[in-house]
Amino acid sequence: MAGSQRNEGSDELSRRGFLQGSGAALVAAGLAGPSSPAGAATEPSADQVASSAPRSSVRFTVNGAEQRLEVEDRWTLVEVLRDHLGLTGTKIGCERGECGACTVLVDGAPVYSCSTLAVWMEGRAVRTVEGLAQGGELSALQQAFIENNAPQCGFCTSGQLMASTALLARNPTPTADDVRSALVGNLCRCSNYNAIVEAVLAAAATARSAGGAE
Amino acid sequence: MTPRQTAPSAGAAQVQPLQTVGRNVPRIDAVERVTGRATYTRDVHLPGMLYARVLTSPHPHARIASIDVSRAAALPGVRAIISHTTHPDIVYGSGSIAGGAQYNDEAKDRTLHKRYMFGNPVRFVGEPVAAVAAVDRHVAEEALGLITVTYEELDFVLDVDEALEPGAPQIWPEGNIGLNGQNRPLPLGGRQGDPDAGFAAAAHVLEGRYTTAFNQDAQLEPRSALAHWEGDKLVLHTPTQGISNCRHDNAKDLGLEDHQVQVICQYMGGGFGDKNGSYYFDLIAAMLSKETGTPVLLELSRKEDWLGTHGRWSTVQDLRVGVSDDGTVTAIELRCRSGMGPFLRRSGSVSGIDAYACPNVDRQIFPVHTNRVVGGNFRAPSEPQGYFPIQSIMDDAAYRVGMDPVEFALKNMRRPTDQVRFTNYSMEECIRTGAELFDWSARWRPTPGSAQGPVKQGAGFSFMMFRSGVGPSSAILRVDATGRYTLFVGVTDVGPGAKTTMALIAAEALGVPLDRVDVVWGDTDRCPYSVGESGSRTTIMTGYAVVEAARGLQRQISERGMPRGDAVLIASATPNPSTQGRQRLCFGAHFVETEVDVELGHVRITKYVAVHESGRILNPLPARDQIRGAVMQGIGMALREDLLYDARNGQPLTAGYYGARHLTHLDAPRIEVTFIETDDGYGPFGAKTVGEAGIILGPSAVANAIFNSTGRRMHDLPITRSRLVQELA
Repeated sequence: MAGSQRNEGSDELSRRGFLQGSGAALVAAGLAGPSSPAGAATEPSADQVASSAPRSSVRFTVNGAEQRLEVEDRWTLVEVLRDHLGLTGTKIGCERGECGACTVLVDGAPVYSCSTLAVWMEGRAVRTVEGLAQGGELSALQQAFIENNAPQCGFCTSGQLMASTALLARNPTPTADDVRSALVGNLCRCSNYNAIVEAVLAAAATARSAGGAE
Repeated sequence: MTPRQTAPSAGAAQVQPLQTVGRNVPRIDAVERVTGRATYTRDVHLPGMLYARVLTSPHPHARIASIDVSRAAALPGVRAIISHTTHPDIVYGSGSIAGGAQYNDEAKDRTLHKRYMFGNPVRFVGEPVAAVAAVDRHVAEEALGLITVTYEELDFVLDVDEALEPGAPQIWPEGNIGLNGQNRPLPLGGRQGDPDAGFAAAAHVLEGRYTTAFNQDAQLEPRSALAHWEGDKLVLHTPTQGISNCRHDNAKDLGLEDHQVQVICQYMGGGFGDKNGSYYFDLIAAMLSKETGTPVLLELSRKEDWLGTHGRWSTVQDLRVGVSDDGTVTAIELRCRSGMGPFLRRSGSVSGIDAYACPNVDRQIFPVHTNRVVGGNFRAPSEPQGYFPIQSIMDDAAYRVGMDPVEFALKNMRRPTDQVRFTNYSMEECIRTGAELFDWSARWRPTPGSAQGPVKQGAGFSFMMFRSGVGPSSAILRVDATGRYTLFVGVTDVGPGAKTTMALIAAEALGVPLDRVDVVWGDTDRCPYSVGESGSRTTIMTGYAVVEAARGLQRQISERGMPRGDAVLIASATPNPSTQGRQRLCFGAHFVETEVDVELGHVRITKYVAVHESGRILNPLPARDQIRGAVMQGIGMALREDLLYDARNGQPLTAGYYGARHLTHLDAPRIEVTFIETDDGYGPFGAKTVGEAGIILGPSAVANAIFNSTGRRMHDLPITRSRLVQELA
């Protein structure tokens, strides 16, 4: 398995290790230039590991602000957001594409930022939970999440909010089933599923009545 | 809006409306929770901090012959590597507390089955073997792959009954039965009344073997710890449900005084149990930080968390119940083996039989060691896996004697007697209210499995009583000249909203608006002792301390007037109330309708009514959602969650949300919650347990509904499609 990391006897595939391999391969295919990270797509030997990791520069926007960053090719988007841009509202729950806590919007579409490499963000627009409130005013969804007690421990909340934001942008009048389908990739172990769906429906209703009043 | 009924139950006064509590109040930190500003452990970033990862055992049972770290140490960026060879004698005390004697320092010292920060031999897949601190997490992760561990594999055992057979692999020299606090392999339980006579008098004797699976707590925040030292003082950010107990455990294990450890946890991404104390990763982070002289953030991966921490212990239970022709339960016998993994972190007990009044009971519960993951506390630690068997066999008993299960329950359930007294009792009211709201008589089928066609409807129910005991905790309240009140409480906020609840109680007790109360929480250097958010104790115990502190402050204000200038008034309270020998319990009844596709084995929950008496409800919306969420977890336990092992090599196969098949939005039915409110005069304004109570009945109520739908009794959790199809074939 190219680029994967295994502990002896363990069946755990490291998400970052896997991405490091596949992502680097994609970058290499895309750039095909001298900067492509030779050797990163093969199982690293001890010597290669000891060398510094390949880096790329990448330019994208986060919540409207342009970011020019020099990133290691193996850095995931969620790592860059949390560790390098200080946007810790996006959470890491499983780091293997199961739970959805790390959901952010990339060009308006919800993606798992734990399973997305930062280098793939070139030219893209990323939106995180920190970008939902506008001018200090909470979005209708954030307000509805508060009023409907949608967060319990709050750890999945950012992901639920981002996936819901994407849903309401493409479907302002969802049914409960629409909401459940759109949020199926966002687990809540507090299992506050009923309240989260109620909050999204309430936000949609609020937006409708606000729109009607204009 | 959650329906709330305020009928007085036996022994309790009708609830009188209050100013602040009892109304829907958004959490005081709600904005932080929806904007990403709430700070969880991994969100804390200290300058220069290192990242740490743990290497875990790939074998279920093995002796470590050698650990070669030379290649890892040579990797640029690696700062420290520790293992049992560098730190052989740090006992992870709360990982091996013997007999469930929680926070019992003596038992920790005395136990023969000590667990160390790094063990040798290793006794389960996922046990820590070594740890690396490096300049970033990628380097730390790479370094793990460069550590060469030579293992001598040992025979392993996964099954509790095989572990008890002669010649089974010995996980401990003393054998595979868990030792109690006196290092003796004695079962929990006991004998009361005359079970032999009870069975002899029975017209019907029912028997069954039931099994329940390991369920990971699976909180969404993967565990981690950020440690640094200020001189000889350890500062520890760690996701814990109880900062006070976490501090004490860590201090004891590291040979420090309590005041030399500061534990900080304000937000926690889900508790659900077994985090009211220290964890091995706290100790490892502390030691790595000591080695490097630098702050160290240790992160567990989801899989390391799943295997390395704890979940609800599995059980195998043989039950026997005697019933007379008139439907009176005459005797109950339980033989239970609880799968604790190799360390006895918690008791391994099971509950539920106490919900019946039957005087003749014989229970033997053996905590058994295996080479699976360690069993621990998960929301109502011994209840759902105990209620599932007893409420299943009682359901069978009702059909056997031709009674409606609800009538059978009303006839046999525990009620107050001269010997067993309660602060109040509302079991019957919960059952009758639930039956009416659910329309039990219309949905339940006297003949199970009688619906026509392949998709069969049916209904089941279950009932429970659960602890709401009072006890000691502390609170401090301060008022300044501007009339702002500051409440110091040692709670964290794991999800139920303890911080808001404490503020509500203070505002009510002081008679001031909620927005005049600030809360200082989640830091042992700033907050007094709290029992921690486990065992359904925070609202009742710490909440009552808040009430007492408020009374003390009001006395001061009435005697001395409000403070002026820079002066403040401060009151503290550490009450230790008592119910004078009376049991204080909460009560609940759940009614479930299922549709079972008998060809595909698919179960759909079409109606779920949960009725609870949890005393006075302090904040209705979060209380409702504690029940709804807990019910959902109970349904997951009933139908989905398991940790499967490959019997050939001892490897866990389903560690993770996907493998364990946790419920998603699409699997979540609508849960209808009703509270019957009472005020028994104890706790803060009569509040009782909410959060744990809701998970207890899901497995039994769902299983009974499946029986009513199909006519088949499912004895094993989870009730998967494959098990159903096999049973229905």
